[in-house]
Amino acid sequence: MIRGIWDRETVALMLLAAAFPVFVAWVQADGWYAIGRLIFFLVVAGIWHVIFMLARAQPPSFAGALTALTIAILAPHDLGIFALLLGTSFGVVMAELAFGGWGRNVLNPAVVALAFISFGYPASNWPELAVQIGWAAFPAALIGVLTGVMSLRLLLGVAVVTVITLYAGVDISETWIAGAVVLVLMVCDPVTASATRLGRWAYGAFYAAMFVLFTCQWGDAAPIQIAVAAALLASLAAPLFDEIAISIWLYRRNRRIG
Amino acid sequence: MPWQFKSGLPVLPNNSQFAFGAFEMQISEEAALTAQPVEDFRIDSLVKEGDLVAQGAPVLRSRRQPEIVATAPMAARVASVDLGPGHRLSSMVFFKEAAPGRHEYDTKAAASGDAVALRASLLASGLWRFFRSRPFGKTPVPAEIPSAIFVMALDTRPAAPDPRLALHDRIGDFEHGLRALLGMTEGPVHLCQDSGDELVGPPDFPGNFRLIRNGGQHPWGLAGLQIHAHYPAAINRPVWDIHAEDVAGIGEFLRTGMVPETLTLSVTGTALREPRLVRCQPGADLRSLCYSHVKPGLHSILSGSALDGRRARWLRHRDRQVAVMVPDGAGQGGHWFLSALHRARRPLPLVPNAAVEQSLGGAFPVMPFLRALSSGDAETATKLGVLSLLTEDLALADYVTCAEPRLSDLLNGMLDRIEAEEAA
Repeated sequence: MIRGIWDRETVALMLLAAAFPVFVAWVQADGWYAIGRLIFFLVVAGIWHVIFMLARAQPPSFAGALTALTIAILAPHDLGIFALLLGTSFGVVMAELAFGGWGRNVLNPAVVALAFISFGYPASNWPELAVQIGWAAFPAALIGVLTGVMSLRLLLGVAVVTVITLYAGVDISETWIAGAVVLVLMVCDPVTASATRLGRWAYGAFYAAMFVLFTCQWGDAAPIQIAVAAALLASLAAPLFDEIAISIWLYRRNRRIG
Repeated sequence: MPWQFKSGLPVLPNNSQFAFGAFEMQISEEAALTAQPVEDFRIDSLVKEGDLVAQGAPVLRSRRQPEIVATAPMAARVASVDLGPGHRLSSMVFFKEAAPGRHEYDTKAAASGDAVALRASLLASGLWRFFRSRPFGKTPVPAEIPSAIFVMALDTRPAAPDPRLALHDRIGDFEHGLRALLGMTEGPVHLCQDSGDELVGPPDFPGNFRLIRNGGQHPWGLAGLQIHAHYPAAINRPVWDIHAEDVAGIGEFLRTGMVPETLTLSVTGTALREPRLVRCQPGADLRSLCYSHVKPGLHSILSGSALDGRRARWLRHRDRQVAVMVPDGAGQGGHWFLSALHRARRPLPLVPNAAVEQSLGGAFPVMPFLRALSSGDAETATKLGVLSLLTEDLALADYVTCAEPRLSDLLNGMLDRIEAEEAA
């Protein structure tokens, strides 16, 4: 009889609210150029959403705006319009809309778009993120956790690995900004992250571990490329973590209940 | 070891608004025994229209299990017997008449602790229908031996009457009834109660008595969640649940030989001027309970809570609350294109968030379970414990997620499929 509010679009709006600090920091750092880029990507993602709405009756989602914002912040600056169009379209269509829209996708569209650009145009000039954008990831994570759309366990998994890394003396001072921004904008996406409690710990820890590994071993890559590759691997592994978590839960339950 | 769950969701209004002991006694002029078509309750009527029946006298009998009967909710004249196709009970309506009095059963043998006699008299008096057997949530067949029984002295549905209030003047009967249940099964009998004082706890209870204390929020006061957590039901492992007030009713029945006359009911909702706590007969006329208490304007009366209630004229079997709601006008208006778009892609995707996790108590892999449910994957859902759950247990998840189609309907469909496969 009475209905609550936590449908898909509410979650998408909360994710946008969580991304707001990052957006503000980015606009302050890049100025009008940033606004122009954002509008370009919003239009591209929006057109695809409208096409799928008209052709396949898929309701458009605010999550498309988050995808556009993420690509606008992280995509290389010197790429031509065609490359950006191609990369964005590939991510939005192949990773999200072809699966039936946000909520049914397996991989985050922004991750796929950036990975596409990263592999397709390896020599491009990836942006240097200003340090305040990295700091803005902290309030973003806080908003996400408080509104319940981001998982605290996932972030704690990342934190544990980060503390171990710092304790082991690995230098991530040059790459952490990209890692933090990718974490709050893409890795924390509840649709593609693991969905079990234990799985989220593992997923967060796996992302952070991959990020540290690439930082140490992938010398000539830009920090954003490192973070995007880690995010891609983590979301591919997410269902595996869920399966493991469910198996452990079943094993313990069967032992307890008999 | 009692386990304390703290998780759940606060759903307003909670049940702390009722003052202790503020019952109103109200036996409505009309009452009815009803069943939904989906329950498929096929019956033989034992009375004709116009017959006088005593309160507690058997009036209908199940065609599938003739031992199972239902009794008259009050001393009355039978007003109408309405059967659907295949002798399915639709409604049997009674008009109040004082003359026939109360029907009395012989419960000497049952009260002396004879398990066979106890079963026989519970069946004969219709009190058997208080039990609900999982998996599938039917009234248990007469020969069924439960692997465990859950006594629910805990109800966390929004605005549910606190079972403590219903029990406070009947603790003796409750203890007596609990003792009878302890003799009905070899398995454990769990008493689920809130984190306050122990309701009962005499040291001479048999070893299969278990106390579960729970200070949690909704949905931890639902039998399904407790069964899922403590003693999951399976095909050859039936688990029964029963409301604590009905256990007190069994105790009263064994003491006096008479079927209890009333149950405790909360009448609340947005269309009501003030919440009420009444004691009325089973199957009471809901309109008479709300009459002169509703605000002016449109309202709809639900039997059950605002989360899981259904529109009804008569109080449904096993319901202990009535929600009188102002219709929210949802589903009306809106642009045709948007509403068509909204309906084009079903089921709507479920996006994980903290509220969804808590809507099933957060203690098991909720999202994999809900995904299995909405994709119809019965195997995974069974592994994750779907056989312990019933419609009402997913009402909160439905509320939180606005899922379309409703998760509780999907659960119903899946349970029906599993049952059909088992029967084949």
